[in-house]
Amino acid sequence: MDEFLAEMAEILEEDTVNPRDELTSFESWDSLATLSVVAMADDKFGVNMSAQELQRAVTVEDLYQLITAKKAA
Amino acid sequence: MNTPLNPLDLSGRHFLVTGASSGIGRSTAILLHRLGARLSIVDLDEAGLSAVQAELRGGGQVEPHRTDLSDIPAIEPLVGRCVAANGPLHGVVHCAGIQAIVPVRTLQVEGWRKIFAVNTEAALMLGKTMSSRKVYAGEHGSIVFISSVMGMAGSIGAIAYSMSKAALDGMARSLSLELAPRGIRVNCIAPGFVQTPLLERTGKLWDEGQRKAVEDLHPLGFGKPEDIANAVAFLAADTGRWITGSVMVVDGGYLAR
Repeated sequence: MDEFLAEMAEILEEDTVNPRDELTSFESWDSLATLSVVAMADDKFGVNMSAQELQRAVTVEDLYQLITAKKAA
Repeated sequence: MNTPLNPLDLSGRHFLVTGASSGIGRSTAILLHRLGARLSIVDLDEAGLSAVQAELRGGGQVEPHRTDLSDIPAIEPLVGRCVAANGPLHGVVHCAGIQAIVPVRTLQVEGWRKIFAVNTEAALMLGKTMSSRKVYAGEHGSIVFISSVMGMAGSIGAIAYSMSKAALDGMARSLSLELAPRGIRVNCIAPGFVQTPLLERTGKLWDEGQRKAVEDLHPLGFGKPEDIANAVAFLAADTGRWITGSVMVVDGGYLAR
């Protein structure tokens, strides 16, 4: 989770992010950030996520759960 | 509405110029400063930077930063120091470059990687860093990469250099699409042969006949660093506000044939 949070902080251009932070609260949460999460899920977790799947996430932790759940499936 | 008298006015804006100690970079730094910009000037040549800084006394602040741009991980901290010293950035002009005439049979991996690192990877890292909200001033963003006609036309011995410049042009086009929503424009300038210290070093490999043959490839003769600096200023200022993802050819007619 710590590594995931560090990756998300870089994508969102923040010093740190918390699991309960809402994605829409970040100024940098846009289509390019979504694309960056798709690339990160593939690179770090070996999971192919679509941008549409990621839209179900409200918080940073939701994203983590979506990615790890798909990896476990 | 007040219309500025000078459409190239850069007052209040902060530009980072690499390769600023000589040639195109030096001329660019001098011109942008004359247009009102604050500057962070970057080069490996510390004495050259000091000379440019001394020449730019008065006007906007000028901060020199000695850096080896082949050290890609060092670029983000460098930009951080520039912002700390001179405020958020409005633009980057990447003039630093390595030009080497090396035929394919003698080309070595280390050599072409060094060329690619400075000419292309450093440009990408500068663009990536500039796009950060912590670095970008938020308006009037303009990134200019000095490319080359060698990115579009072949030349014997220029294999690695051509590779680096063609890659630079392609990178800039895609980067321009990602940064447009933030109001940052990204363009390249493709000069022909310009009379710079870089060309003088390359030119030592030529005899007079070869030099004349190269000059004759330019219907308007060899260029001067100021010819490229003028084009940089046009793209850096609001005169270029509707131009992004382009490669502006400034080559004395080299590619017209």
